[in-house]
Amino acid sequence: MFINWALQEINLKIVYYGPGMSGKTTNLEYIHSKLDQSLTGELVTLKTKEDRTIFFDFMQIEVGRIKGKKPKFNLYTVPGQVYYASSRKIILNGVDGVVFVADSQKDRMEGNIETLLDLENNLMTMGYSLETFPWVIQYNKRDLPNTESLDILQKKLNFFNVPHFEAVAIKGTGVFDTLKSIINGVVQHVQAQL
Amino acid sequence: MVQVKKLKDGSRQIILTAKQFDEITKVLSELAAKTKASTILMADISGQLITQRGNTDDINTAILSALAASDFAATAEMAKLIGEDAKFKLLFHEGEKRNVYLSNVGDNFFLVVVFDVSVTLGLVRIYTKKAIQNLLSVFDSTEKGDDAGKILDQDFSSMLGDMLDESFK
Repeated sequence: MFINWALQEINLKIVYYGPGMSGKTTNLEYIHSKLDQSLTGELVTLKTKEDRTIFFDFMQIEVGRIKGKKPKFNLYTVPGQVYYASSRKIILNGVDGVVFVADSQKDRMEGNIETLLDLENNLMTMGYSLETFPWVIQYNKRDLPNTESLDILQKKLNFFNVPHFEAVAIKGTGVFDTLKSIINGVVQHVQAQL
Repeated sequence: MVQVKKLKDGSRQIILTAKQFDEITKVLSELAAKTKASTILMADISGQLITQRGNTDDINTAILSALAASDFAATAEMAKLIGEDAKFKLLFHEGEKRNVYLSNVGDNFFLVVVFDVSVTLGLVRIYTKKAIQNLLSVFDSTEKGDDAGKILDQDFSSMLGDMLDESFK
């Protein structure tokens, strides 16, 4: 979090984390396409030729002034593939909240768990813990035929009982609910720390 | 001292007072004048833009800060891989029309100086080094800012919630 008293700005960094192809970039693309242009900056994506995120996606959103203060949210995604481990660590630098985008498909459970452990490891090296850090889970791709039940997803991934959302990011279902929840989570977390 | 607070859970909060912000902006203005740099940014290592000087109308500086921070972080990992003990202190990108010079300011911040190829690198280096010293002394000033609690109260949360609902319709 960065507070600039001269400009009355509060900057928060939110990172979308999750296994490869789970829909992190799709979340940002949807937000970018739906938000009023005056509230959102350009969406930058650093992609490979195959459309996979190589480093990160970035977008800044604003919601206007609240009590004279201007909150700005910097949204990032990380590359999901296992071999981009160091990129993920870099993006987490200075993070205020995390959205874990899980792929609901049955055969992706292992990938979800592996990436969640990777997240926990990375947070731990920075002195945070998933138990106390603000994060939410989005179960994406709920429209696909071979998805795992919510019950099982919850049991296997949501062991700290953080807020969770079912989503079809490509259609926008659950995207804004997820974002709102993490923003609230971060603000409440800051209050609780004081 | 610019407040870089470690909270109970380990997360980091950077708070800049109005006075510090003015002084930082002054240092950057001087640097811009001396180096004829087209754009100068100061950002924190997580990619948050702090202040900017020069021609910033044609450049999305929020994105430039995010990219520059990642640039720094990526080369820091490179430094580790090749056995360097510390991060690289500066990065230089040479273009056909413009060059970009990036340099650490203490552990938490960095400067991005964008300048025309007609300006010599040596000049930029010397003045940037000086500016960094000035910035570090601004950071060392003892003034304390109000903390986040003054902004992020209960009232703020509920208003933010309403704003988000409004924006995310």
